[in-house]
Amino acid sequence: MMDYGRELLKGNTDCLLLCLINNQATYGYQIIKELEKRSNGYFQFKEGTLYPALHRMEKEKLIKGEWQMLPNGQQRRYYHITKRGKQVLAKRLAVWQDFSTAVRLVTQPATT
Amino acid sequence: MTRELQTHLEDKSQELRETGLSEDEANNIATESFGPPQLIAQQIYEVHSQGTWQEAFFAALSHLLVALLFFASYYWQNIICLSIILVAVTCIVIYGWCHNKPMWFFPWLGYYLLPVIITGMLLIYLPHGWVWLATLAYFPLALFAFAYIMKQTASRDWLYVSLMLAPLPVVFSWSLALGINESLPSNMLSARLQPAIPWIVISFLVLAVATFAYARVRQRWCKAATLLIPPSVILVSVTLVNRGNIGFWGWLILLFSLFALASPAWLQARS
Repeated sequence: MMDYGRELLKGNTDCLLLCLINNQATYGYQIIKELEKRSNGYFQFKEGTLYPALHRMEKEKLIKGEWQMLPNGQQRRYYHITKRGKQVLAKRLAVWQDFSTAVRLVTQPATT
Repeated sequence: MTRELQTHLEDKSQELRETGLSEDEANNIATESFGPPQLIAQQIYEVHSQGTWQEAFFAALSHLLVALLFFASYYWQNIICLSIILVAVTCIVIYGWCHNKPMWFFPWLGYYLLPVIITGMLLIYLPHGWVWLATLAYFPLALFAFAYIMKQTASRDWLYVSLMLAPLPVVFSWSLALGINESLPSNMLSARLQPAIPWIVISFLVLAVATFAYARVRQRWCKAATLLIPPSVILVSVTLVNRGNIGFWGWLILLFSLFALASPAWLQARS
């Protein structure tokens, strides 16, 4: 069962990350915390999963990473969604909505 | 990438310290949460290792150009045309060297090393007394140039050394098969060269395809295989067609070039 959950997450990692980055520019550590918080602890991303995914999406020009200096002198790499990323996200969300609606229709008890 | 992971590690460690853990404990837990470092390195490598279609084409273009030169053998013999190509290759190599040495640059650099090697092979045509003198002057300079370029290339990635050296076994095997080391008169060399030209063209086309595949595949072992197998097959085929009649020095040069090509992949497998 865990494998099924992992496969589902693997297939939707980009969509989840794009959703978060679409809301506001954010950095790797914040993304992990935010995903965990919003999913009530269901999504626990490993750093080893997150950063390759972020870099792959950056290479595909879905997001763009930029270093920013914080007032305390610390530097962080913030990711912004691109125009192309917004288009891809909109398409994937539409597909996901259709898919989840179809699954719900099939799985819920038939009504007469 | 390292800096990004470092800042993440610091954030995580800071959060753990705020829960009352010691600095060492916090650092250890934060590091462990990243998962196996080899796996992260492999995944990140696979993201960045795949060249674009343009990069793959530009890397393969160097071999296609050589194949084209042999295909249109008139241009291969035309000194003006060769000079223009040499200047163009020099410009491309300088551009690549000054622009952070991208992946496509290394096959071009490999061809730029060939004049150094061919000069060494042509030393045998000098008058008898001059050969030793020229050899004494040539070898230290050539070895210095080679060592410097190899060191610079290996500092980027061991596989780039294989990418750079891929044409060497092919050029050596064809040179030896055609008897360039036998001090033949030019008309005899040309008579041997003409029937071999289609096969030489095919050899360089195979190299171009292998380089294109190298640029597009993601896994390191696939990259090593694409660079090692095609030149080795060409080398063995040419040597067998020539019935192994390339002399002791010929075999030594071929084995050395094969070793130079294979050693980066071997070192990679050991690390």
